[in-house]
Amino acid sequence: MANLNIDAKAQNTYDAIVIGSGISGGWAAKELTGKGLRTLVLERGRDVRHVTDYPTTMTQPWEFEHRGQLTKEVKDANPIISKCYAFYEGTQQFFVKDAEHPYIQEKPFDWIRGYQVGGKSLMWARQTQRWSDFDFEGPARDGFAVDWPIRYADLAPWYSYVERFAGITGNKDGLATLPDGEFLPPHEWNCVEKHFQQKVAGRYKDRHVIMGRAAHITKPQPIHLQQGRAQCQHRTICERGCPFGGYFSSNSSTIPWAARTGKMTLRPDSVVHSIIYDEQKGRATGVRIIDANTKQMQEFYAHIIFLNAAALNSNLVLLNSTSHRFPNGLGNDSGVLGKYVAFHNYRAGISAQYDGNLDSTTDGRRPNGPYIPRFRNVYKQETDFLRGYAAGFSANRVSRSNQDGIGADLKQSLLNPELGGWSVGSHMMGETIPKETNYVALDANQKDPFGIPQLKISIAYDDNDDKMVKDYQEQMTEMFTAAGFTNIRVRDDRRNPGLDIHEMGGVRMGKDPKTSMLNKWNQLHAVKNVFVTDGSSMTSTSTQNPSLTYMAMSARSVDYAVKAMKKGLV
Amino acid sequence: MAMAAGALISLPAWANSWTSETVQLTSKFLSSSQDDLLAQIVETIIPVTDTPGAKALNVHQFIQKIVADCYDKPAQETFLNGLTAIDEQAQKTFGKPFREGDATQRTALLTQFSQSTLPAQKDFYSMVKGMTIRGYLNSEYVMTNLTHYQFIPGHYYGCVPVPTKAISQTPTK
Repeated sequence: MANLNIDAKAQNTYDAIVIGSGISGGWAAKELTGKGLRTLVLERGRDVRHVTDYPTTMTQPWEFEHRGQLTKEVKDANPIISKCYAFYEGTQQFFVKDAEHPYIQEKPFDWIRGYQVGGKSLMWARQTQRWSDFDFEGPARDGFAVDWPIRYADLAPWYSYVERFAGITGNKDGLATLPDGEFLPPHEWNCVEKHFQQKVAGRYKDRHVIMGRAAHITKPQPIHLQQGRAQCQHRTICERGCPFGGYFSSNSSTIPWAARTGKMTLRPDSVVHSIIYDEQKGRATGVRIIDANTKQMQEFYAHIIFLNAAALNSNLVLLNSTSHRFPNGLGNDSGVLGKYVAFHNYRAGISAQYDGNLDSTTDGRRPNGPYIPRFRNVYKQETDFLRGYAAGFSANRVSRSNQDGIGADLKQSLLNPELGGWSVGSHMMGETIPKETNYVALDANQKDPFGIPQLKISIAYDDNDDKMVKDYQEQMTEMFTAAGFTNIRVRDDRRNPGLDIHEMGGVRMGKDPKTSMLNKWNQLHAVKNVFVTDGSSMTSTSTQNPSLTYMAMSARSVDYAVKAMKKGLV
Repeated sequence: MAMAAGALISLPAWANSWTSETVQLTSKFLSSSQDDLLAQIVETIIPVTDTPGAKALNVHQFIQKIVADCYDKPAQETFLNGLTAIDEQAQKTFGKPFREGDATQRTALLTQFSQSTLPAQKDFYSMVKGMTIRGYLNSEYVMTNLTHYQFIPGHYYGCVPVPTKAISQTPTK
């Protein structure tokens, strides 16, 4: 009997366990297996294999039963996920339905999730900008949260490392606020975007409009071909999964790469319950899961554990990993676990028209667009709010057909659309300030369908966010006016936090174990063999889309962990 | 070039076997006479010329699906009542069901609905017309043969001169 147990334990023991297979978990898996570690990847959702499990990737527009529209049944059953821009008839299979994983909104929060191998890396918006020291120095300079234990120089080589493998399109713009990377050729501008760029450059010395940097292969390099990925074909239906591997996802890139080493065991349908802590050894020894199909609890063991369950779920796992030593959650000596959660403020937008450049139009589609890096409060504090915002920008030529009338004349005009003017638009991406009052916690009574405590989410905007919305609207109006755009309309859609899908923090990095969870290697201060390299580890949010930073942190952290393991330090 | 890259990838069987014909109506929302009436309405809005009209492209089937699966109760009622009202008005105006009117009579009746002072009539017509246009422009025939939709453009050119091409449509007399 004892022997049986020892055998079972041996069978379930690996060098490393990675919890989650999204952007950061996929990278952790690739790096760990690449360094020769037998790695178990636990994914709570189902398996989604590249190409074969993209059921709508070749579906023509007319083949969708409702031409892409969501049915009333789906919308009624899913008031939360139906708000997500990427959720439509062709992508429903990749999003968590509202009833599948209940949570408690102490304050309104739209929690957008993708539970499958690849996680949200299948449906993400693929924008990949580096952070700069203006971001990493933010908390220390402006006196919020805690000082980041790392700076740009710590991450720079790792940014390069992940960019080369993932395939990032961009232009070397030479901006201090947005460091250049290892870029594949940039996407093209259209005339009106170019016009706006020039008008802004002529009027403001420190405001720039650049082409977005995005995880698309515009020119495959040998490393991409080795992954079985080809050039992006500009279909712009990425969120259905791409048969060409034209954009980066765990499914098309890191997970198959890790599988090829022969060192990875991928276990889908494994809902992580908690991390096992051994009081005698003073370290984590493994992970408890609930098998999604059998509902049975099982344990797996490893020397090092990477937690990459996505920001809020990594908080949940740690909060639920209690022991005599850690009654309030694994590694939570400081009491900050679950607190100082922040996100990105996407509330405001602006639209307008432009009647110039009427002799030119565009041809084809572009899975990317221009980007305005942060220009507010960069070199000095110049407004009555802290930090700033970046913005997306794009222009497109509108084609309109006259839809008046009836019969053959109507048909004629429908088939002969007239080119109208240009429509231009932008949306903000504001940095929010992490606060103790923005937190997640386990609910004392309510459980999810697996018997795991439900997450209670209490996150809201503050005055700083409201001021930023107003400033974005004013500044963009000024810039649009300078460019000769007309019929300018600003909006504040007052969307709930969460719909930005950029929630971060709760397991923050810091220098001091008294005020943070993780050290500069994304390692729990108090449990040296547990590493957290997803959105939960972020001390502050910057204005840039965070995924590229998660990739770089994951690769850097694995490199440290494996070296430390070989030295016997973890 | 794009297709050459595509050819390297073997797609699973389902990718090529799903056509609009295989998509069945989830529920029988309209009776066959209502379905026939709707077909006549969409055909009046977008008739056959030297290219197929809305009826031949099954636009009425598409509308039925959207109303049945995507619309709420009040909108569904507006739709069903509107169908009834069309036939009633046809009886009043030209003494027979809508289906039996000639093209001129049917066009006049729908035009009357579009200008009606009764919100129910106006709403019904704009609902049906909007969906007719959408279903027509998004049909395989139109996207493939007339508006030349590219599933895989393979490129984005930002500044190209405005082309001077139009789709010729000569209405059949």
